[in-house]
Amino acid sequence: MIDSQIPVIQDKEHDKEKELEMLKGLKTVGEITAPNPRMTCRNVNVYYSGVQAIFGVSLDIAGNEVIAMIGPSGCGKSTFLRCLNRMNDTIEGCRVEGEITLDSENIYGSKIDVVPLRAQVGIVFQKPNPFPKSIYENVAYGPKIHGLTQNKAELDEIVERSLIKAGLWGEVKDRMDKPGTGLSGGQQQRLCIARTIAVSPEVILMDEPCSALDPIATAKIEDLIDELREQYSIVIVTHSMQQASRVSQRTAYFHLGYLVEVGPTPQIFTKPRHRLTEDYITGRFG
Amino acid sequence: MFRKTSLLAAAMLLSFGLGSVDARSSRNYISIVGSSTVYPFATTVAEQFGRTTPYKTPKIESTGSGGGLKLFCAGVGVEHPDITNASRAIKSSEVQKCKANGVSGIVEVKIGYDGIILANSKKTQPLKLTRKDIFMALAKDVPDPNGGEKLIPNPYRTWKDVNSSLPDIKIEVLGPPPTSGTRDAFVELAMEGGGKTFDFIKAMKKTDKKRYKAVCHTIREDGAYVEAGENDNLIVQKLDANPDAVGIFGFSFLDQNADKIQGSFVDGAPPTFDAIADGKYPVSRPLFFYVKKAHVEAIPGIKDYLAEFTSEKAWGPEGYLAEKGMIPMPENERKKFYKNVQTLQTIPMP
Amino acid sequence: MNRVAVNETISVMKPKRAIETVSKGLRKRYRAERRFRMLGLAAVIASLLFLTIMFISIFGNGYTAFFQTYVKLNVYFDPETLREDTLARADYPGLVKKTMRAMFPEVQGRRDKRNLYKLVSSEAAFQLRAMVLRNPDIIGQEIPVWVPADDDIDMLMKGHIRRDVPESERRLNDKQLAWLDRLSADDRIQTRFNWTFIRSGDSREPELAGILGAAVGSFLTLLVTLLLSFPIGVAAAVYLEELAPKNRWTDLIEVNINNLAAVPSIVFGLLGLAVFLNFFGLPRSAPLVGGLVLTLMTFPTIIIASRAALQSVPPSIREAALGIGASKMQMIVHHVLPLALPGILTGTIIGMARALGETAPLLMIGMVAFIVDVPQGFNDPSTALPVQIFLWADSPERAFVEKTSAAIIVLLGFLITMNAAAVMLRKKYERRW
Repeated sequence: MIDSQIPVIQDKEHDKEKELEMLKGLKTVGEITAPNPRMTCRNVNVYYSGVQAIFGVSLDIAGNEVIAMIGPSGCGKSTFLRCLNRMNDTIEGCRVEGEITLDSENIYGSKIDVVPLRAQVGIVFQKPNPFPKSIYENVAYGPKIHGLTQNKAELDEIVERSLIKAGLWGEVKDRMDKPGTGLSGGQQQRLCIARTIAVSPEVILMDEPCSALDPIATAKIEDLIDELREQYSIVIVTHSMQQASRVSQRTAYFHLGYLVEVGPTPQIFTKPRHRLTEDYITGRFG
Repeated sequence: MFRKTSLLAAAMLLSFGLGSVDARSSRNYISIVGSSTVYPFATTVAEQFGRTTPYKTPKIESTGSGGGLKLFCAGVGVEHPDITNASRAIKSSEVQKCKANGVSGIVEVKIGYDGIILANSKKTQPLKLTRKDIFMALAKDVPDPNGGEKLIPNPYRTWKDVNSSLPDIKIEVLGPPPTSGTRDAFVELAMEGGGKTFDFIKAMKKTDKKRYKAVCHTIREDGAYVEAGENDNLIVQKLDANPDAVGIFGFSFLDQNADKIQGSFVDGAPPTFDAIADGKYPVSRPLFFYVKKAHVEAIPGIKDYLAEFTSEKAWGPEGYLAEKGMIPMPENERKKFYKNVQTLQTIPMP
Repeated sequence: MNRVAVNETISVMKPKRAIETVSKGLRKRYRAERRFRMLGLAAVIASLLFLTIMFISIFGNGYTAFFQTYVKLNVYFDPETLREDTLARADYPGLVKKTMRAMFPEVQGRRDKRNLYKLVSSEAAFQLRAMVLRNPDIIGQEIPVWVPADDDIDMLMKGHIRRDVPESERRLNDKQLAWLDRLSADDRIQTRFNWTFIRSGDSREPELAGILGAAVGSFLTLLVTLLLSFPIGVAAAVYLEELAPKNRWTDLIEVNINNLAAVPSIVFGLLGLAVFLNFFGLPRSAPLVGGLVLTLMTFPTIIIASRAALQSVPPSIREAALGIGASKMQMIVHHVLPLALPGILTGTIIGMARALGETAPLLMIGMVAFIVDVPQGFNDPSTALPVQIFLWADSPERAFVEKTSAAIIVLLGFLITMNAAAVMLRKKYERRW
């Protein structure tokens, strides 16, 4: 076990190097496996142009659960999230090692095509990013490119259903042909969620989905996440520990690329077992 | 009028593939290149020809005499021009090049003369120059005024320095650049004519021809002579703005701007139509065009174009080319070249 | 000063001094700001001034070219000269001369008669011929016909030739002026809109010279340029920006494209001469070859503009598309290109506008030429607007001065239209995100 001897050194880089040295060989505290996992990650290492950003992370994502990833800035939680649907492929010089499976199939295997993978593992980004097209087009785009519908009526139905699920239908049903970029921030983010669920994914990744929103919009999204759990597995990266405690069943704490601790959310926030976790949730650093 | 876009793709394809063959195998208009001095006259004839005959109006490119002859001598075939205009006679080196490329039958047609004018603004007095004055004012090296056969760098600043009867005005001459046919003719006729008046320079022609040419043809570069570009209209405008300057250009520009500028007398002769026509005005040059004999039969309309050009109503003293400022040839010369055209008399090949 | 006083001063001065320094500096800062603003304003005013001067001088010189002096002749279509069988080849110039003589019966002597005939354009004879061929019934009638005046008359009427200089310095002599005054008094001289200038090709007679041939030549040339350079440029930009791996080779290509965009246009003309004319044997002076040469010149500009436009598309849109499973091609075609389009179009139109104004490369491929017939296709000999300006500027006739300015007006009209189109397209397709 590592003590909370956080050395107070002015030189940040040196500080980080020293910390990394101390973290070397860290074993995750807590139960990383889950019964009936949707996705499993084993010993995942990620490098950006040769610099290691994720160190041997192993974690299961169960069906119908919300798992929150927390940790200080730069701890690698977003990087890890983006490994789950291979969004990291788009970053020049990024290399992923280890094994990540979706329904027992290695998503980094040579036979896997990223296009269907991303249809199965959808993602919602930090900043709402609707397409500069109509609200209808935003939601219909995914089903259209994947050929999920036979005709306009089916497409209309998917769009309506997705918007209802995202809790946006009532607000936009009269202006489906208006641009999605004209909505408010919270509405835009729910539109992005509707767009993601329109292609019926199994897992939804959310990368700090509320950090650009006001508290009311945040509350709506959090309610939505809770409802979506009935159908999807949700992995959410968040800066807000309150949010993590409100929406998630399990919480994983990342520190400098290591998965330090994972466990049921109430336990992480009340009785953290690792010193680093405790320091973080008690606000000693972060 | 324009083909639609749908046809465009086909047109492109055609031009890249078949089009190249097409372009080589036929042409239904006469292609003319050459001198920018002859351009206004040739285009006038071409337009007249186009309106009065069933043939298309010839295409005339203004490439300069040298450029025109280069294109002309590149070979026989529809991708090469049929006729080239020149403000000087073809050189023997060019004839050789023509021959090497299979262009062996060349018909030379002299069409008239162009006077080269030294003009200044109407706001001052006309200059009365001699060719010797011109040489002394513009040559790079001039004979030592202290006598002897020595050449010294041109020391003259004003026209009065050159000749005490001339006004006390700074020498400032706007003229064409060396690439121009007008410049060639000017140095040959005016400068060389002036240089020859010195016996020792004249003697040089026999002993050291190269040196003779260099002395007579080299224009001073100390700012007294300004290369004003090929655009003669521009020179006219500059003269209007600067009464002290003298400009060099072709007669037709004087003809058109007689209210703004006046020509200088050279060797006592005024630069008038009549004086140039009867040879009194010394600085005039012949204008030519050259026809590829092999094309006369192949390209429709060349014969009629030649007939139009050599008709009295075109190149005669009362013809429309005279109207445009070309100086016609005397009658016996016109007769001679008319006969040459009728019989397609070619120039001798080396 | 005693110690207490000093201490007091310090305690009082300290905060005051900081504010004083700030406000002293403030004045200086504002002064600098004002200076900068004045400089900027002066620069804008200066450029607007030059633009205005340019427009005023061009329009002032050129607008008269859109008008032309016409002379009314009472033409008796004499059945003697116009026989049924030779209508097309009858002596129409003779008919014009006869009409003129009839109007001025007192004019005697060969020289005076010639000067009299010079009052009207040579076009008059062709006009009469066309009238007779269209309607042979007019033979035997006397009909008033408006024919264009000769360019010298036109210049005189427009005030470009002065009457008050001695006779020898005018292109029109006193007698001609007297005849003109008589025609004027009889209401036989009129200035009308010059449709000939809009509707016909080049001519050596200024009163007959028109801009249409050059305008059509420019249009055809630019059409070829657009159809080739736009797809090539955009495809190259998309490949380099979105698909190509970033390595030394693509860096090299990028540097070379930038170099290509900076190459003087005459070089492309030489290249066109060597490749398209000499190697492929395409016809000289054709808009097709002109378009190809201008394509070489334009597409580096389009590539550079398109790449900048593609780069400016926010990564969040790309992630959004990829995130719901769009393939790379779908991401580019559905989302990135539409967003980059305004920038690409602007770059394209700027490139095209530059191509529209080029003469140098066209010189080498024979498009600097006298061409009377309006081109009908991509292989017909043709010229272009800037070339026409160049050729007219170099013509000795006084009347071509105004034609030159008028041709510049037409060219500027084209350019302004194209730039307006660029602005409109940008407004139409610009989306906020």
